[in-house]
Amino acid sequence: MKAIIRFFSSVKLAIVLLIILAAASILGTLIPQGRGLEEYAARYGQMAGLFVKLQLTGLYHSVWYLAVLGLFALNILVCTLIRLGPKWRRSTRPDLGFEAKGVGAMKIRDKVRRAGAAAEGLPEIRRAFAAARYKVRTETRDGRTSLLARKRIWGIFGSDIVHLGLLVIIAGGILSGLTGSRENLSLKEGQTVAVPGAGFDLRLDKFSTEYYPDGSVKDWKSALTVLEAGRPVVERTIEVNHPLQHKGYRFYQSSYGWDWDNPAVLIEVRKKSDPAYLRTVKLRIGERAPLGDGEGTTVGVARFLPDFVLGDGNAPETRSLQPNNPAALVEGFVKEERVFSGWIFANFPDMDQMHKAKDSDLAFTLKSFDAGQFSVVEAAKDKGVALIWLGCILMMAGFGLAFYWPTWEVRAVVEDVQNKTDVTLGGLASKSREAFQAEFEILAASLRRSK
Amino acid sequence: MTEATLFTIVFGLYILSAFFYLGFAFTKKAGAARIASVLAWIGLALHTAALIVRTVESGHAPFTNMYESLSFLSWASVLAFVLVDRKFRIPKIGPYLMLVVVGLVALASSPLMPKDATPLVPALQSYWLWLHVSVTLLGEAFFAVAFITSIMYLAAKTPEKKAEMDSVSYRCVAVGFPLFTLGGLVFGMVWAYKAWGTYWSWDPKEVWSLITWFVFALYLHTRIVMGWKGKRSAIIALLGFLAALFTYFGVNYLLAGLHSYA
Repeated sequence: MKAIIRFFSSVKLAIVLLIILAAASILGTLIPQGRGLEEYAARYGQMAGLFVKLQLTGLYHSVWYLAVLGLFALNILVCTLIRLGPKWRRSTRPDLGFEAKGVGAMKIRDKVRRAGAAAEGLPEIRRAFAAARYKVRTETRDGRTSLLARKRIWGIFGSDIVHLGLLVIIAGGILSGLTGSRENLSLKEGQTVAVPGAGFDLRLDKFSTEYYPDGSVKDWKSALTVLEAGRPVVERTIEVNHPLQHKGYRFYQSSYGWDWDNPAVLIEVRKKSDPAYLRTVKLRIGERAPLGDGEGTTVGVARFLPDFVLGDGNAPETRSLQPNNPAALVEGFVKEERVFSGWIFANFPDMDQMHKAKDSDLAFTLKSFDAGQFSVVEAAKDKGVALIWLGCILMMAGFGLAFYWPTWEVRAVVEDVQNKTDVTLGGLASKSREAFQAEFEILAASLRRSK
Repeated sequence: MTEATLFTIVFGLYILSAFFYLGFAFTKKAGAARIASVLAWIGLALHTAALIVRTVESGHAPFTNMYESLSFLSWASVLAFVLVDRKFRIPKIGPYLMLVVVGLVALASSPLMPKDATPLVPALQSYWLWLHVSVTLLGEAFFAVAFITSIMYLAAKTPEKKAEMDSVSYRCVAVGFPLFTLGGLVFGMVWAYKAWGTYWSWDPKEVWSLITWFVFALYLHTRIVMGWKGKRSAIIALLGFLAALFTYFGVNYLLAGLHSYA
């Protein structure tokens, strides 16, 4: 047991673990994380299997990375606990030294001879330290007084508070990993969905996109209503950076998309031989509308693709769900006989090469389409977050104490020497030694000056 | 005056400052260092004005693309330097630091960096943009000063100069490390939680800032607990700055991730 504690209390272990963590983390940024098997096979060939087996493809959640983090946490815990006891004793029940020799051997030291007896001069010596904001303790034994003056004693706990903060952050991370959940909810306007496991529902009232004058996206907004047992309890509009919080869940504007299954397509029809002829028809997939062109033609939309591309074997398909290259397959019928068909493109109005069964005089333009958008709202639950923030505050407070709240300590032995008083002074600073040295000299000089 | 004009003048002032600092390094004349320092201060003041003009014109924080963030980083580096010089009277780091600054400003001015102020994408519309980026870059600027003093430590011949460089390096890390932790990691986590729904995503930029943090934690532990001072300390500080530089710059160009803005 002792050996285990000694092992985990070593700073050398901390250094080795820091190096391992840094190296492993670098490795994780060189190998793309969480991709599909095919991608790894294409990238690394034969090695792909080994990488997956060693969990290098999900490195930050791998058993071994988490084990190193666990060892690191244990190391911090043991190191901090072992140092805390002596530090606490030092701050609450410090030893007062009575040997002038010991004090006089400190790195920063001085010796002052004062007029008068020690017992008479002592209150003044105490006042000199108190005036410089030191907390003073004295103890007199056999005519010899030992004095301990300290300021900013909390500074010695700075590193411990940083370490405590880190442990709280790690605990928060574990709690997040065990209890956290994130789920994407796709909602059309007016749609209500049950939030999984939450016992309440969420309704999307309105989804909107705002644009800058130059056409780029300014914001996405979803007007949401939280429903409990069918009754609205909260109404709020969320946007990126402004989630809605309700009963431990947070709802984020995460993404959006279009419902491409059944868009309404607006088509303009012209006649090459007759400039006066102009028709606009609005059609859903499968619907037909008469054109009134005198030949009894009806037109329909057979397919709609938001991002048209010719795939394998020149078959039309969509590259993405973004409307990058919207295209509609238009068909014309005369008495149930298909007389022409062809793709028309919103971005390329001149490209309407119709496959004609018979010569047609008609030209089609895809003017617009209305697909109805849905909003993707992420429902997130994470009980570890409060611990993370607490840990961060502790860590930053600890940094403040460790770097900028230096503990300074002056020890003195005051004794009578032939009707005069000898004061042997020694000083110790945890940080900012130059500044302390200067203050120490001023203190010694003030003791010398006073009668 | 427009931001572009101001920035050009600032560029000139920094070059002149570097020039006078180099003169000081060769001639050891204190007058040259004084002129260089005054030039750096004037440059800093005008650079501050340029950043304010940029903010007013674009309507958002002046670090949303690579040009802006390079400009801000060079501003922060000059600020860190003049503060360190004021405190420790150490003009001999001037020539090297101002050369690094001139390099950063030259990079920002190069045609590779689009200078147009573009409207903010939705994810960046938050006051955390100010807190996260400015504090992080200020921390990194202090790492840059520590980097220079560490190199000068390694190159120094006399023990006095070595002791001075070692001490200034440590003091810079003592400022840079808490700033980097606060701005990069703490504010970054808070903002990520508000914008992305999770405070940590193991995104490459996050991981690299954690790596940078590990390296400086290593620096402090080897130094304070194990008493490594001098050469080994200088090398770790140097590695730490390189990690910070990669976090800032390399991740954007070499690794893909959530932090694709700048």
